[in-house]
Amino acid sequence: MRPPASPADGLHLILGRKYKYLRLEWTDELAMLRVRTCVKPIQCYSLAGLTEMQRVLDDIAENPGLVRHLVLSSDVTGVFNFGGDLALFVLLVRARDLDSLRMYGRRCIDMVWWLEHAAQRGVHTTVLVQGDTLGGGLESVLPFHKVIFERSAQAGFPEVLFNLFPGMGAWPLTIRKAGFSVANDMVLSGRLFTADQLHRRSLVDLVVEDGEGELAIDALVRSIDPRLRGTLAALHARRMAAPITYESLQAVVDLWAETALTLTTRDLRLMERLARAQVRKVGGDEEGAVEEIKRIELDTAWGELRTGNTQWGDEHAHTEERGTGVTAWGALPGR
Amino acid sequence: MMPFFADLVMRTDEARRGFETNSVVLDAVARGMSVERYRALLLELYHVVWHFNPVCAAAASRIPDSHRQIRYYLYEHMQEESGHEEWVMSDLEAIGVARDSTVAHSPAMHTLSLNGYNYWAADRRDPCSVLGMMYALEVIASVYGGPFSSAIRESLLLEGERGVSFISSHATMDAEHMASLRTILNTIVDEPTRDAIVESTLVNFHHVTRIFEAI
Repeated sequence: MRPPASPADGLHLILGRKYKYLRLEWTDELAMLRVRTCVKPIQCYSLAGLTEMQRVLDDIAENPGLVRHLVLSSDVTGVFNFGGDLALFVLLVRARDLDSLRMYGRRCIDMVWWLEHAAQRGVHTTVLVQGDTLGGGLESVLPFHKVIFERSAQAGFPEVLFNLFPGMGAWPLTIRKAGFSVANDMVLSGRLFTADQLHRRSLVDLVVEDGEGELAIDALVRSIDPRLRGTLAALHARRMAAPITYESLQAVVDLWAETALTLTTRDLRLMERLARAQVRKVGGDEEGAVEEIKRIELDTAWGELRTGNTQWGDEHAHTEERGTGVTAWGALPGR
Repeated sequence: MMPFFADLVMRTDEARRGFETNSVVLDAVARGMSVERYRALLLELYHVVWHFNPVCAAAASRIPDSHRQIRYYLYEHMQEESGHEEWVMSDLEAIGVARDSTVAHSPAMHTLSLNGYNYWAADRRDPCSVLGMMYALEVIASVYGGPFSSAIRESLLLEGERGVSFISSHATMDAEHMASLRTILNTIVDEPTRDAIVESTLVNFHHVTRIFEAI
């Protein structure tokens, strides 16, 4: 390991790197590093995007005391992150490449693991979500100390719709923040949730009106900064009270990779359908992956209506709290 | 040492995404294309497919005994690919291009560059470079072929496999090929050969992207 650089050298190093998919900004007064992701045109966790993000995190770790606040947001209008690189998944599944699927998953949990230890590194983390965030995109949000959503943002774990599950920290991070029942509902339903619904489930700390996210970040960071040491110590203690181990994250990634290899042609076609929808939105269409997921939910619900098999039974009769309200459960009369 | 397939995926992922995120490709996958542009694309693909087996044969004849498993792999693969240019011709006929016109078509500069590079790489660079060509073309077919053929079917109101048989069938067939290609790539351990395959993959992704862009 290199000896720590002087603060000025460290800052120069962090800000001086050339990134293709990230834009970095520094606020000296708050020692705040803003990272804006921009994996254009399809905002997702590509291998290169992950590598760049990990580079930033490693730079922060190699310069202890330099960064007090790390803030992540997206530079792509209407999308925070679509999650995994679906085309890469299709490629690896078709090549039956378990090693590469595991490698991809481990890169994702390395980022989660870093964020999990941010308080110990003296860094408070905040994320601003201003658009759709799906699957791995939502998983990457959950380890942040503070999660801010703008009101129109929607999120969920759609993986179960194509016979997979979110394998990069969704279960332990959701359980820790919102409890087992919420985690069960979110992961096993594949449904999407509004910012308010996620706030009620304690997965989002603050919901602000569209366009007010930037102001909210500034206010939040300024309110935390004077009591940063105490806050970080408390967050460290919180982690000790409800720890997540790297081994458990890794075991879930391994299971995720093995499950991915069992995907059928139909499952891959559904994945491709979502990928195509993402592409359409990028091309200027109003509707993208989120709308496609709602259509898939509706298809499933109509199937249930025809067969009378709802999987859930009557205990889930409260429609308001189920999904976005325009999805399958909200659409079904008399539920 | 990392299995070579994983290494190849990582080292060429940006080129793959460069193809996927090219605005023309994005639009084609999302919305299909006009019949004129689809004709132009298939005419270029015809010449890529027509030269696929000769490139493989040129490579196979130059592969040293130390890599004999690749030579055998190429023999099998050539047999499977044999006659596939006929599928492209049939699709072209279905959308109004006579067989004579297909054969007489002069390939565009990027298609000549693609084929020219692949012959040169098999002859002068490293005969195992041919695996880079196969990897790039099979990724394009198996990952993007399905959504692309659906988009073409919808935009041109084609029925069943008519007019899209080549792309559609390769989307399924190359899915199986990907698994066997991974197995053969993982047998390669020497760095110069690995580097030559990576280079070939990058060049093939580049040229195919340019072919799409130009139609």
